[in-house]
Amino acid sequence: MSEALSVKNITKAFPGVLANDNISLSVEKGTIRAIVGENGAGKTTLMNVIYGLYQPDSGQIFINGEEVTFSSPRDAIAQGIGMVHQHFKLVPSYTLAQNIALGVEPRKGIFIDELALNKSVKAIADKYGFQINEREVTADVSVGEQQRAEILKALYRGVEILVLDEPTAVLTDIETKELFVMLRNLVEQGITILFISHKLREVLEISDDISVMRAGKLVGTVKCEETDECQLAEMMVGRETIGGRMRETKQKGELIMEIEGLSVLDNRDLTAVKDASLNLYSGEIVGGAGVDGNGQEEFVEALLGLRPLTSGKIRIDGKEIQELSTREIREAGVAYIPSDRYRSGVAVEGTIWENMVPGEYYVKPYSNGLALAMPEIMMMSGTLIQKFNVATPGLDAKTGNLSGGNIQRVIAARELGLEKAKVVIASQPTRGIDIAGTEAIRQMLIDYANRGAAVFVISADLDEILSLSDRVVVFYEGNVLDAGYYDETIRQRISWLMTSGKDYCVD
Amino acid sequence: MGNVDLSSILTLSLFAAALRMATPIIFATMGGIFSSHTGIFNVALEGFMLIGSFFAVLGSVRTGSPYGGLLYAVIACLVAALVFAILHLELKANPIIVGLAMNIVAIGLTNYLLTATFNVWGVYKTDLIIGFQEVQIPLIHQIPIIGELLSGHFPLVYFSFVSVYIVYLVLYKTPFGFHLRSVGENIDAAESIGVNTKRMKYYGLLVSGLLCAFGGTFLSLSYLTMFSEDMTAGRGWLAMAAINFGRMRPVPSMIAGLIFGFADALAVRLQQFGLPSQIVVMLPYLMTVIVLFISAVVAERHKKSLVAKQNKIDIATPLQP
Amino acid sequence: MIKNFFDKAKNSHTWKENLVNLTTQLLNYLIILIIALFIGAVVMFLSGKDPIAAYAALWQGAFGNGYRFADTLDRSVIMILAGIAGSIAFRTNITNLGLEGQLYIGAFAAAWAGFTFTNLPAIVHIPLCMIAGIIGGALWTLPVLYLKMRWKIPELVPTLMLNYIAIRLTDYLIAFPFRDPAAPMAGSPLIAATAKLPKLIKGSTINIGFIIAIVLIFVTYWFLFKTKIGYELRMVGLNQDFAAAAGLPVKRSIFLAMTLSGGVIGLGGALMIQGFFGRFLGGFSSGYGWDGFMIAIIAQNHPFAVFPTALFYGALANGALTMQSVTGVPQAVVAMVKGTLVLFVTVKVFVENIRKGLRKWAM
Repeated sequence: MSEALSVKNITKAFPGVLANDNISLSVEKGTIRAIVGENGAGKTTLMNVIYGLYQPDSGQIFINGEEVTFSSPRDAIAQGIGMVHQHFKLVPSYTLAQNIALGVEPRKGIFIDELALNKSVKAIADKYGFQINEREVTADVSVGEQQRAEILKALYRGVEILVLDEPTAVLTDIETKELFVMLRNLVEQGITILFISHKLREVLEISDDISVMRAGKLVGTVKCEETDECQLAEMMVGRETIGGRMRETKQKGELIMEIEGLSVLDNRDLTAVKDASLNLYSGEIVGGAGVDGNGQEEFVEALLGLRPLTSGKIRIDGKEIQELSTREIREAGVAYIPSDRYRSGVAVEGTIWENMVPGEYYVKPYSNGLALAMPEIMMMSGTLIQKFNVATPGLDAKTGNLSGGNIQRVIAARELGLEKAKVVIASQPTRGIDIAGTEAIRQMLIDYANRGAAVFVISADLDEILSLSDRVVVFYEGNVLDAGYYDETIRQRISWLMTSGKDYCVD
Repeated sequence: MGNVDLSSILTLSLFAAALRMATPIIFATMGGIFSSHTGIFNVALEGFMLIGSFFAVLGSVRTGSPYGGLLYAVIACLVAALVFAILHLELKANPIIVGLAMNIVAIGLTNYLLTATFNVWGVYKTDLIIGFQEVQIPLIHQIPIIGELLSGHFPLVYFSFVSVYIVYLVLYKTPFGFHLRSVGENIDAAESIGVNTKRMKYYGLLVSGLLCAFGGTFLSLSYLTMFSEDMTAGRGWLAMAAINFGRMRPVPSMIAGLIFGFADALAVRLQQFGLPSQIVVMLPYLMTVIVLFISAVVAERHKKSLVAKQNKIDIATPLQP
Repeated sequence: MIKNFFDKAKNSHTWKENLVNLTTQLLNYLIILIIALFIGAVVMFLSGKDPIAAYAALWQGAFGNGYRFADTLDRSVIMILAGIAGSIAFRTNITNLGLEGQLYIGAFAAAWAGFTFTNLPAIVHIPLCMIAGIIGGALWTLPVLYLKMRWKIPELVPTLMLNYIAIRLTDYLIAFPFRDPAAPMAGSPLIAATAKLPKLIKGSTINIGFIIAIVLIFVTYWFLFKTKIGYELRMVGLNQDFAAAAGLPVKRSIFLAMTLSGGVIGLGGALMIQGFFGRFLGGFSSGYGWDGFMIAIIAQNHPFAVFPTALFYGALANGALTMQSVTGVPQAVVAMVKGTLVLFVTVKVFVENIRKGLRKWAM
């Protein structure tokens, strides 16, 4: 059996993070290799290197035994490797066939030879056993069929090694089964497949071998038939919590926020959150674990009144708030640290003080009749800046000029500084922040909980969850699943829930 | 108001006039479509057309032929489009502001040159301007009804419909067109297959200049044979609305253009029946707003039904393993 | 401790940074102005006119003597109001291209209040007409707001269409129901003397409208930067997602910004009718709505920058008349210069390079 693809000692670093640390693996021709790992494990970076988007800092790539280098994805395709991305690169108004052949269309004079185009696409589809209506417009077909078109796009150009990035993230269960049937067909025809996933159940169903990555390193490669979810979850998530635990669990207080039966749609009007329920208690930190894209964003936006609910109730101290405006919800005592700080957290072109006062400017003492009370506003902003250690040249400085960590401190200062919130919802609060800033923000959240607030921290960083939480829930496919209270075995329970939605492991 | 009954309003000559009045709008619309497909919403169509109108007259006077006028118009509009392109694509200026400013510059420039070159104010009308002559299509013009409707138009009227077909062919039947449209619809897809997206945007703007030159030439060398200040009278904006209504597709956008042309012609006809000209002349602009409104209502209904369809599928899949 | 902090802030980096920024902006404007004037000169030269003489006549016409200067100030009034109107809308990220139409409706409303009421004392009549102008301009923005807020139709095309509709609507009104047969051109009846704005200097058309415009600049500054609603408008304009997440009233801000914008230029229309024309005249506006757009863009939507820009536009408008009558160079060349200025105003290349150079020199 020959090696279709092999990489040796691949290292790739970005400022502040070593994404791939000396990775070596090889894939046999005609097999399916799954690459699994959590958010940030380095899987996507590795695939980007393999398919030519990035050049590795060091290391080599071999295809069919010969060393190759790529300066762009088109190079890679020319050498036989093609990638199918999670976000399809399809033009919505074109037919599937037109998308598949885009850039290499058969011609008749200066025109596209429509007949030849459709025929050749159909031929490739038949060769690999793909069911596809090539004449349908891409925007009108199901996501599963669009994905087939993306795959065919690579095959049409003659690739023999396919890399799929989280292919099942956008598919329904039925579509996933159909995809797997097709992948098996492809493999029988000699195509080699690599795919990234975090869904262990599916990985075990379809792959021949599984490589596990964690924190930039390759933990190991196992044969599918020789392993199970439990072992994989442990490899993915490890036993040691990096950074240790910051939180000392205290007694929890009364019920402050009740979320009951929440259902929310996403931007495509598909269900993102299904009948989720959660209670938040005073003095308790609840961690929301889970891979990005399982409904966290939509859940949080619904809580803040930024997204409509299709059903459900939200109560603070017994009073229903789901119909209220964002301002009223905040007045009821909700503080919010959004995941995308540049989009929803601050106005980048605004000054520091402008970003500090949106919650207070409209009441005394920060305003007087129609006018803003600038001295009080500046005083408040100045105090908060100092308290939260924001490094800024002044209150009139443009917020966008600050570092990411400092911007996050501004947001934290605004939301937490006046100590008025009963509930704090923090979404990915330390993403992209340096170590000092991360520690500081985590400590702020802990202090706030100690003062009696209910804190809900959503994070794709499992170490953060384990460091801070008294209790953990897991977002999985729109559901909010209970992982229970922090104890020695919680890491495992979380990993099972994150990867398969079950809180137990079949041994 | 005189005796107003539909049959005296909706005459053949009205529809023939509608075709005529739709022509400049259709040219500008096709030009704008080309640019929109590369992701640049060209708000300078009005200004380009005005430049085209003026230079067409200048060219006709200098060369003694309407085709000379057309040539001058094309060159002038391509230069204007190139200025727009360089400001936006090389100097990174905001395309909406650049477009709107170009309209203002176009008005200033053409009004200035009107006086500076021809020594007249406000309007330039003379026998020196040689316009296009109407043509009769052999055979067709002898057919009753159809003949009166389709034959006897200026050449550019026919060419406007030909241009719709050419734009359709280029954008939807050639590899070039597919690559160009991908730039506006999914720039990642375009870049991943190696399309030079900046060059496509240049093409988009230049073609919009080119077609606006035709539209402008029609206004000053066929529809009328003269140049008057601001003679485009908002047709460039109507073209923008037509592009919006037609969702950037040539044929539906052309239809919107025809509707606006019809509104224009109807406005003229209704004036002959004693309806106040000022009210009636509002018609095309009112029509635009109504068209936008209807588009939005239809879009919302369509989305609601799609959502219902999708959620049915979604709900049907089992939730938990 | 707090005092220390503030002292530190004053002497810090920000102060120098602000100075560098200010100088950069001024130099940028200077460069763009020179480019625009140069291009205008080139066009004039190529068509056989003398640009130096033209610009000299322009200057003379605008600032040549006391009366001319006063007239320039008078011409600036509408420019100031149009610039403020544009600034309020653009600062809230609203593409209000309908200033011209809002101007017409506001002007007509003011004229109507002027000629309909004949027995009011000036102290009541003058403000009444001004209020009518404000309401007229604001009302004309309502259809666009409906389309935008209920149907998500971007305001760019609807505001433009309403321009043409407004002009034709008012044309109709002065041609039929409100026609004044005695008017030299199509126009409404004369407004009552009690509605006219008192003049400031004999021999010039300048009137208290100028004072009102200056006051409005300060009021707008206070409104935008010192009030709660102003803060809301600005934040919504800077980042609507942030504003929504922070609980700011986004919808209300958009509504206010648009109606205020229409109202302000409606007031401008009132001042023109009450201060200069004395009646509503068809075609009275030589594109002042577009001047407002240009001034707002050039002034980066800041009221204090609107003033010099509007003054410049007023000077151009006033001086152009003299230039045309003395040198024969058509006024249209001024429109070209104005437009060219805006063409270059969003080009960042000069600003980036100047700032780099200044930083090196200053730090």
